[in-house]
Amino acid sequence: MAHGTAPTGAALRVRALESLLEEKGLVEPKALDAIVDTYETRVGPRNGARVVAKAWTDPAFRRRLLKNATAAVAELGISGPEGEHLVAVENTPSVHNLIVCTLCSCYPWPVLGLPPVWYKSFAYRSRAVRDPRGLLREFGLELPDHVEVRVWDASAEQRYMVIPERPAGTEKMTEEGLAELVTRDSMVGVAKIQPPARRASR
Amino acid sequence: MKPEQLLAGTRFEHEERVFGAPWEARAFALARGLVEAGICTWDEFRARLIEEIGRADRARAAGSAASGDGYYTHFLNALEKLVAQKGIVDARAIEARMKEIVATFDEEG
Repeated sequence: MAHGTAPTGAALRVRALESLLEEKGLVEPKALDAIVDTYETRVGPRNGARVVAKAWTDPAFRRRLLKNATAAVAELGISGPEGEHLVAVENTPSVHNLIVCTLCSCYPWPVLGLPPVWYKSFAYRSRAVRDPRGLLREFGLELPDHVEVRVWDASAEQRYMVIPERPAGTEKMTEEGLAELVTRDSMVGVAKIQPPARRASR
Repeated sequence: MKPEQLLAGTRFEHEERVFGAPWEARAFALARGLVEAGICTWDEFRARLIEEIGRADRARAAGSAASGDGYYTHFLNALEKLVAQKGIVDARAIEARMKEIVATFDEEG
C-alpha cells in the first residue's frame, strides 16, 4: 500500500490526524481536495481586482461597495467564508489605508484569497500598527507627510479590503483592462498601483 | 526565517504559492472541512490559533530565540488542541496513528 518514503514531522502529524478524522466519518478526502483546489486556484486577488475596477468605472457600484461591501461584491458573484462582514476602505490623495490582523491572520478570503506569508509574519503584524510609515517604506512605498495613514485591524468580526486609487492615464481603459492593473498588494494597502506607462517601461 | 526576509519578495505576488508545502494545504483543508461539516466553528478554531501565535509572539518578545516555526505549525497545533478539547481525537491517538503510518512504510522496506 505505502510507497516511497514515510512522511515525517508536520506532514506525518497531518496525515495521522486526517486518517483519524476520516475514520470517524468527520472529513472526506474528496471534500478536502476540493477545499485545497478552491483556495489554490479559484479564490484569489483576481476577484478583488474585478471589484476595484468596477468601483472605478461605476460610481453607483462604488457607493454601494463603500456602504455594504459584502452585498456589493455578491452582485459580482463573490461571496464565501471570511467575507460575511466585508468593509471596503478607499484610498484618496489625502488618505492611505492599510489592513492587518495583529492577532493572527484574518483576511478577506473571497476577494483576496488566502494571505501571503509576510502578512502573517510577526514583523508585519507588529509594525503595521506601531510604525505603518516605516513598514510601507520597506515595501517601497514612501508616503508624503500630509497623507494620513489609516490602519484597519481585522481582529474583530470585520474583514477589510483597500480600494486603491485609480492611476492617472487610465481614463480610456476598459473595466477588464483596469482589473489587470490591480494588484493584491494594492488591496492590502502596501503598494500603490503604477500607471500603465510606467509599468511597461519597468 | 528572519522577519525582514518575510517582507522580501512581495513584488513577485503572482509567482507566490498559496501553500508552502502539501501538508500546509492539508492542515488548512482539515480545519475548513471540520467547519463545513459543522463539527466546530471557524471562531472556535481561530481562538486556538490566536493562542498559539500569541505564545510564539511572547516568546519572541521575551528574547528567546525564535523557534523558526512557521504559521502552519501554529495552525496545526491549534487544530490538534481543538479536536482534543472537543473530545474527537487526542494527542495519544495521533501519536499512535503516526507510528502505524510509519510502520506501513517500513514493511515495504
